Amino acid sequence: MLINRRTLLRNGSAVAGVFVLGAPAVLGQARQRVVVIGGGPGGATAAKYIAKDSEGKLDVVLVEPKKLFTTCFHSNLFLGDYKTFEEITHGYEKIAAQGVRMNHQMAASIDRDKKEVVLADGSRLPYDRLVLSPGIDLKYDSVPGWSQQDEQSMPHAWQAGEQTRILKARLDAVPDGGTIVMIAPPNPYRCPPGPYERVSMMAHVLKAKGRTKAKIVIIDPKESFSKQGLFQEGWEKYYPGMVEWLGPKVHDGLKSVDPKTNTVETGFETYKNAALVNVIPAQMAGKIARDAQLTNQSGFCPIQPESMKSAVDPNIYILGDACIAGEMPKSGFSANSQAKVAAMMIRGELLGARTFPARYANTCWSLIETGDVVKVGGAYEAKEGAIKASSTFISKTGEDADLRKQNAQENIGWYGGIIADMFG
Amino acid sequence: MRGGGIFGALVCAAFAAGAGPCRAAGEIALGEYLSATCVTCHQKSGQITGGIPAIVGWHADQFIAVMNAYKNKERDNEVMRALASGLSADDIAALAAYFESLKPLKP
Repeated sequence: MLINRRTLLRNGSAVAGVFVLGAPAVLGQARQRVVVIGGGPGGATAAKYIAKDSEGKLDVVLVEPKKLFTTCFHSNLFLGDYKTFEEITHGYEKIAAQGVRMNHQMAASIDRDKKEVVLADGSRLPYDRLVLSPGIDLKYDSVPGWSQQDEQSMPHAWQAGEQTRILKARLDAVPDGGTIVMIAPPNPYRCPPGPYERVSMMAHVLKAKGRTKAKIVIIDPKESFSKQGLFQEGWEKYYPGMVEWLGPKVHDGLKSVDPKTNTVETGFETYKNAALVNVIPAQMAGKIARDAQLTNQSGFCPIQPESMKSAVDPNIYILGDACIAGEMPKSGFSANSQAKVAAMMIRGELLGARTFPARYANTCWSLIETGDVVKVGGAYEAKEGAIKASSTFISKTGEDADLRKQNAQENIGWYGGIIADMFG
Repeated sequence: MRGGGIFGALVCAAFAAGAGPCRAAGEIALGEYLSATCVTCHQKSGQITGGIPAIVGWHADQFIAVMNAYKNKERDNEVMRALASGLSADDIAALAAYFESLKPLKP
């Protein structure tokens, strides 16, 4: 129908009626736009759920430079020879099939005033709502003597991909009698039990190769760590004499590392010619979030616990490791859970869809040795201005072996589940 | 979560005619939202990986009984106990109605 001014005036009342009944934003203009930055557990889940549940009523773009995503979770199982690299690497084809438009380049910056994302090639993506899930950046200046140039010789492998392969090759080359030094990160960081599961997997590989005279020393800036009693019990049981954890009172501070000679110097001892030094530095929200001034002095992004919306910009939702999620740890499971709340709230705002009070969940399983997995987790909700645990649990020391085996099967099942949920 | 307007009570009225008193049927929209937590581990397709069982297509009564057993700590598994502890009877009924409405996909 050709609409001129007269017919528009004549039909004015009918048109107004339609606008009242329907979702106003969908009629008479292009679909509203949701841009998602970051194709990890937060961003991929959000993009998929928004596209799937809005049934084409929203234009969803996922900006992620990589065509294949290697998960940080279960990358320790790759180190431990339980999984292949291919098994922890996934493509975005099925997300695209849900109606998400993939844009495989780097998001360079956010123009919050214009509500546009500026891409690496200079083009701009306008948005009505932005989902920001950029993950962490490493603080390359947080370990004296180490910098980004040294991540080949002293790998971090805390962002999965090529770094994971480098660490694996170096681990496999550690000789019997060699020393591995892990520099553990300060809080807060991605995957609290991750460094200690990694140590378990390193010990597992060395033991399987008969290199039980090799040793792993952990230089930790923290007084205690996630699942400490469980890990230390497991190390004693399976890898006696192979793992030495040193807290700050014992090592008396990390003085410096020297990537040229593979030396680590602490106030307590100097480790020379280490076979492998794994530096896991301090962390902060991805650069794009910091540049957009969405972070506070902690280096991470404050959010509204009821919605995952940024505390400083009502058009932006922030998920996963980059945000301050109260009592929820920084984990892939947490990011996936937060993404579903954000997806619901965005459909509520843009399409008038029904919303429910936010509920969050997390569980972190950690593999200590074949068939022995421990877990920690909980259910969370918005309470008193933060995300707080409503119920938590943790495995116990001295538990029944059958229970740990059951956990091991859950761990495999969870990975299959979250991958189907994110990428399926 | 889609559309949002389907109330369990209506479903109950439509399908329970002649089946005696209508039991507390859950609200599908709420169930679909709450299910987002379940499907991180229990695959929505009904496929099984490792030690996480399939839960789609379960009879609602069975689903409610199992969830209540976790909530009352009569069934083991700390993950399920923690998640069930925060769910009201209405939440559990909603989840039961939603998962009952799903059909497992053929592999």
